[in-house]
Amino acid sequence: MTRSIIDPVTRIEGHLRIEMEVTNGKVSDAWVSGGCFRGMELVVENRTPEDAVHIVQRICGVCPVSHAQAATIAAEKSYGIEIPNNARILRNILEGAQFLHSHILWFYNLAALDYVNPLNALKADVADAYALAQEAGTSINSDFGLLQARLKRFAENGQLSIFSGNWFESEEGTAYALPPELDLICTSHYIEALSMQARSSEIAGLVGGKMPHVMTCRPGGVAFVPTQQNLGDLWAMVNEVYDWVSTTMVPDTLALAPFYEDALTWGKGCGRYAAWGVFDRDDFDMHNRYLPAGVTDENLNVSDVVESKITEYMGHSWYEGEETHASPYFVTEPEFTGYYQGGTDTVNDRYTWVKAPAYDGKCMETGGLARLLVAYKRKVPFVVEHVDNFLKALGVPGKIEVAQSTLGRTAIRQIETLYVATLMKEWVAELIEAIKGGDSEYFRAPQSNTGAGTGFWEAPRGALYHSEKVENGKIKGYQIIIPSTWNLAPRDAQGIHGPLEQSLIGIPVGDVEMPINALRTVHSYDPCTACAVHVSEPATGKKFQTVTSPWGVK
Amino acid sequence: MEREAIVSEFYEKLDSRGVTRRDFMKLCGAVAAAAGIAHITATDVAYALEQSVIGAKEGNLYPVIWMEGASCTGCTESFAQIETPDPATVVLELISLNYSETLGAGAGWSFEEAREQTIAAGNYIFIYEGAVLEKWEGQALRVANEPGIEHVTHTAAKANAVVALGSCAVNGGWMAAYPNPAGAIGVQQCLKKHGIETPVVNVPGCPANPEWLEAVLVDVLFLQQLPDLNAEGKPSLLFTQTIHDNCQRRGHFENGEFVYQFGTREEALGYCLYPLGCRGPQTKANCGITRWNNRRSWCVESGGPCIGCTTANPANSNENWVETNTPFLKRHRDLRVGDFRLSPTTIALSVTGLLAAALVIHGFGMKITGRMNGGADFEKVRKWDKRHPDRSIGCYDLSDEECAALEAEAGVAAPAKPVGRTTAAKTGTGTATKTGTTGTTGTRTRAKTAGQDGADAAKKADEESKGGKA
Repeated sequence: MTRSIIDPVTRIEGHLRIEMEVTNGKVSDAWVSGGCFRGMELVVENRTPEDAVHIVQRICGVCPVSHAQAATIAAEKSYGIEIPNNARILRNILEGAQFLHSHILWFYNLAALDYVNPLNALKADVADAYALAQEAGTSINSDFGLLQARLKRFAENGQLSIFSGNWFESEEGTAYALPPELDLICTSHYIEALSMQARSSEIAGLVGGKMPHVMTCRPGGVAFVPTQQNLGDLWAMVNEVYDWVSTTMVPDTLALAPFYEDALTWGKGCGRYAAWGVFDRDDFDMHNRYLPAGVTDENLNVSDVVESKITEYMGHSWYEGEETHASPYFVTEPEFTGYYQGGTDTVNDRYTWVKAPAYDGKCMETGGLARLLVAYKRKVPFVVEHVDNFLKALGVPGKIEVAQSTLGRTAIRQIETLYVATLMKEWVAELIEAIKGGDSEYFRAPQSNTGAGTGFWEAPRGALYHSEKVENGKIKGYQIIIPSTWNLAPRDAQGIHGPLEQSLIGIPVGDVEMPINALRTVHSYDPCTACAVHVSEPATGKKFQTVTSPWGVK
Repeated sequence: MEREAIVSEFYEKLDSRGVTRRDFMKLCGAVAAAAGIAHITATDVAYALEQSVIGAKEGNLYPVIWMEGASCTGCTESFAQIETPDPATVVLELISLNYSETLGAGAGWSFEEAREQTIAAGNYIFIYEGAVLEKWEGQALRVANEPGIEHVTHTAAKANAVVALGSCAVNGGWMAAYPNPAGAIGVQQCLKKHGIETPVVNVPGCPANPEWLEAVLVDVLFLQQLPDLNAEGKPSLLFTQTIHDNCQRRGHFENGEFVYQFGTREEALGYCLYPLGCRGPQTKANCGITRWNNRRSWCVESGGPCIGCTTANPANSNENWVETNTPFLKRHRDLRVGDFRLSPTTIALSVTGLLAAALVIHGFGMKITGRMNGGADFEKVRKWDKRHPDRSIGCYDLSDEECAALEAEAGVAAPAKPVGRTTAAKTGTGTATKTGTTGTTGTRTRAKTAGQDGADAAKKADEESKGGKA
């Protein structure tokens, strides 16, 4: 029995520590620790909902659009606004652009380095690489020979740059299993992906002024009135990204999968999934979104989302108290009490800045897998068709449960990427039709400045919840529960592990120094730790007097 | 081998006896496991014997450590949007990015080892993104089981220079806004407190524009110098002029053509966003020139008033951009003294307020006195406009028929009548909007439905424009 620790976990957003007990080559216990506290909800207190939209985006530089949207929806619910149809379409495009950006970056530039060794591509036979790419049906946009020469120049210089401290030699050199030709292909797509995620962001930059941190999403609609030039740019960029995604991402995933098949057999989390839904249709029903809202039980039976079933517990986190608080009455006081080496103090074992949210008393996994499982069970045609085809191609037709694994979670997000890329084309067409039909409304001014509302939405990495109470145009209580808060949760009041902790338990560790399978599993969640850590104030003022933090929250 | 950062003679000896490093590591692990020794011992053994994890310590690439403090990763994300050179070229052919939490292949102890070896090898640039957090003795940010502050000071001490990238790194950014719950400060403040004298280049922005970082890197890599810095330690070429100085809507400001409300005709016409709280006049950055996302657009072009995200006094985290500029949509900010808050509606406050007041005199004041009516200074009608009635600037109240007549007169082929370009508003009072002309080409601009406020503002603007003409 020994301890294996990854700290810092890299190629994620934020600061994360993974500590594992390893027994007989397998993880027997795990502690997931979020390392940073910033206090967003306290900063937006007493500011306007319009300001909050700008400020809360800064929680995350990878998914700022989602935070802006959730904050905007919360404000619109508070003000009683239903946004114009053009604003709905443009916000879908804005969000879709961010999803594409985030998923492309995550798969190729963050997660892929757990599977692909670019340095091994030096050994590739270039002609074989072309043949293999054709056989795998994946895109050939780059000159493999030139790329290999470029890598050779890099290697000859000797400085490792972003490959410093790599784990390519993990498990005695057996952890990275791709043939050099596939490494070369995937390295070419790594570099293309950097351009493609930038192009996707450029779409968000066009509609939002800049990305990260967009400027035009605001309560009431959008502050962006597209010109004909804008429409042409949108149309062209959306098509360009679609073409690359559709010819590259799913084929690459299918080419990689056979070399890492065992990762289909471990990494399942808590087995319950939550999705708040994303991309509104014109009925603005969250359960009818393009990716619909829903919550599943262990048998993947889907039910509608009920806000009052959301609770939070922080008995294992660095906050005072051990009560469980129900939505939207969260109360928190941060208080660092030292990192307890997991298991040394089972009574007062606080080890993370992340709290433990629950739905109906149980922890939930969120993210691309959750969204697609809900969409699959709600019979969204595109998702059903492509998931079925994908399972068939993996050699496990009809076995949706296989998706509940490290590789399944990693792979299924490419289907979502393809779905979003397809929808982007539809939305641009829809926008053009709407404008052609004479609709020139993009914004509705609020008629009230007092109220309360919740924005249920999805960030690329899962279910996102913003809730606020507004009095005379000023925020009196703001709460955020972010996807990774769900996924990276510590143990709950009953001592049951959080979703990622459950995923880690049971995975094989062939190298306690470089536990690559643990890293793969963490990355399959696409964690966003900076977001995950948050602090809340009571929305209702019910427990107002009890919150007397040293820095003067009142 | 002499170029390796850390050369282990021990390994060479092992090697000469036919024992590979991998065999040895395996042995270490086996011994540790058999003896039931905690992982730390095994790690310590490995630490002592590990070869270089950064490869050569010198070469064609400039070593860079890019650390994320209390960040949102937005500045790294922003860097990933850079186009010329693209990020792959930067990390393969310009810098050796030995430590980057977002892009680095390594993780855990070997990743931290890469940082240590880079520091030991020296001659590197340290880019720090995100705020420094002081709360709970720095435990508000924990990395590799240590407070984040330790990482900053340790890494900065031996660096050639520190780039504080983004407003959070410059002075705490939004995290430092009231009540500053995590004790956020900027890098310069932190280093000063710890007596570290490494020069700091402050590159504010939320996020920082990747071209700004590139400009700094070009100075260091190509010109082998640090950029010329202004009094706030920011590159003076980038952060001396205001957004307003280079704003593409500046002409509308001079003409007194403003957007008073979102969802109005003025917004669709691309008028100046000043009345909506645009912080362009008091915000120093060259966004209008550099632009964003492959130069595709920028905040003001898209329709978002500037929120002053580069406002960051590196010596005072209270003067962060959120505290200084909220409420973003208003021209005047709340006054906060401790827990006491005042929301002024008419009085101008602080330097920001005074500057705003000065601009009101410049912009609105001139409009009121009639000096800027229709866009001309000191003239009722510009001479050029008089000679070119078909292409004159500043006529915004022509009917469709008048437009067509002018276009026909000027020999401009009138475009096909747009379908449904005027629409009854879905909210508000259902005011029908007008089609107008703008610019010198006489092109029709699509009008936009307006809410009550917007319609009023448009009406007001029309009346003023008519009054001035008369």
